[in-house]
Amino acid sequence: MPVIPANLSSTKSWRKAESFAGWGFMLPYLILFILFRFGPIIEGLFFSLTRWNLIGRPTFVRFQNYTSLLKDSFFLISLRNSLYFVVLVAPALIIIGLALAILVNNPSLKGRRINRTLIFAPYAVMSTVVGVIWNWIYDKNFGILNYYLGFLRIGPIAWLTEESIAMVAVAITTLWWTVGYNMILFLAGLQEIPTELYEAALVDGAGSWNTFKKITLPLLRPTTYIVITLTLINTFQVFDQIYVMTGGGPGTSTLTLIQYMYFQAFQNYNLGYGAAIAYATFIILLALTGILQIFMKREA
Amino acid sequence: MLSFRKIILYTLMLISVLFSILPLIWMIVSSIKPESQIPIYPPRWIPSVITWENFLSVISKHNFGRWMLNSIIVAGIATFITIFIDAMAGYALACLYFVGRNFLFNLIVFMLLVPIPVTVIPLFLLFSQLHLLDTHIALILPTTANITGVFIMRQFFLGIPGELEDAARIDGCSPFKIWSQIVLPLSGPSLSAVATLTFVSSWNNFLWPLIAINSDNSRTLPVGIAQYMGAMSGASGSAPNYGPPLASAVMATIPALIVFFALQKYFVQGISFTGIKG
Repeated sequence: MPVIPANLSSTKSWRKAESFAGWGFMLPYLILFILFRFGPIIEGLFFSLTRWNLIGRPTFVRFQNYTSLLKDSFFLISLRNSLYFVVLVAPALIIIGLALAILVNNPSLKGRRINRTLIFAPYAVMSTVVGVIWNWIYDKNFGILNYYLGFLRIGPIAWLTEESIAMVAVAITTLWWTVGYNMILFLAGLQEIPTELYEAALVDGAGSWNTFKKITLPLLRPTTYIVITLTLINTFQVFDQIYVMTGGGPGTSTLTLIQYMYFQAFQNYNLGYGAAIAYATFIILLALTGILQIFMKREA
Repeated sequence: MLSFRKIILYTLMLISVLFSILPLIWMIVSSIKPESQIPIYPPRWIPSVITWENFLSVISKHNFGRWMLNSIIVAGIATFITIFIDAMAGYALACLYFVGRNFLFNLIVFMLLVPIPVTVIPLFLLFSQLHLLDTHIALILPTTANITGVFIMRQFFLGIPGELEDAARIDGCSPFKIWSQIVLPLSGPSLSAVATLTFVSSWNNFLWPLIAINSDNSRTLPVGIAQYMGAMSGASGSAPNYGPPLASAVMATIPALIVFFALQKYFVQGISFTGIKG
């Protein structure tokens, strides 16, 4: 609440000073934001309407890049692969993230704090190191995963060099790497729920499944929405772990949208076409989050 | 007596923790074995011979120390700039009334939906026109244009009681003085949260440094380590070489994990802030 001033003229001058100060405080951030985030985002749209091979000037080609994309089988493959990756990993990230949060939030279990930290720890590892670790674990001839699966008479599996399995391998790695992040988000949401509600449920003799369904899930709704949205955004634009683990291969089996953008823009130097791939990714993502929003609202 | 239910819960917790840390332990264990002892079955969790040869080979043959220094410089400067400008912008968005404030805030938050890769082609052209490709400036500046930091600071400032500032206003304090002398000293924890998140995101940043940096001397760690991956799969036709990639991974990870364990309180706080108060 602003203070009620002694007279009107001082309100006006304070308001004016405040407006001035507001823009002043925003200025350093705004300059950087416009130059390096907002500006490039808008520029990207213009580049996507041009043909440009780094040398020479961009030529305006209207929507030609986009119509080419629809006929480009590599683009369609990369779109399918990106969606496949999301379907493989996003539900696991969300459901296991929630399950872990509930587990490490259970007050009757000992060692919750340290376990929380340990489960979250892989998130601090950089993508290329994640690649080194898992390339070694997945090694077909000497990897520990195949060794232990051997006891179950499975394998040896060529995790990263078999077309049908490479994306699954990347998905498992991604789950290991980032599920702790979702756990932390859910944990924050869980801790906002008043404990009295659980006590009341206990008094009423509600079982744990009912308590989960009737109290935890509904009250966790805003958090769940954020987690689903963030997970969707992050998994749909997957790049790092694929670049270091499979490079899009074998064949095109792990070629994702951003992978293909990188290839077109920075290896073939089709910058305009690359920009169109990036924007198509954004537009599809926007549509997906829009659908998600409608879906979540209807459920509510 | 443990109830059946508790045994199941403890088992689940144990499985989750093992799944999380065994890959890291396996990386460390493998890195201190001589090359001849690494690719063998059965895998040995306790090495029969311990050696530092992989680490020495990484340090002597590659620019590893340089990459790490570069990472520290880039992430350090980016973090320093970011916490200042985010604290200022967050304060304006939370506590100062100015024309266009809501529009500006919504615009900034909406940009969170735009995948970062959308920006890399325009950024590449921008920095190439400025002749700043292959410099650390090209790595630092885009990191400072972050969104979550502003969001976290705004959420924090919204929670500060207005009476405090009002009292200062009546005493004739300027907005800048209120910010720097009253508000900022209260913001330690949220500034630390923003600092931790920014540092980690810069430290781990991969796609943009991969594009912006050419020369080996200017590389940051993630891109530097990516070079070893070829050796690991034996891509160049030679026998696969596991030791040096694993040793470089360990050296890049241990400092990150130490910092992570020390600062994880703030890390968690930052993430939680983006989650619940949205």
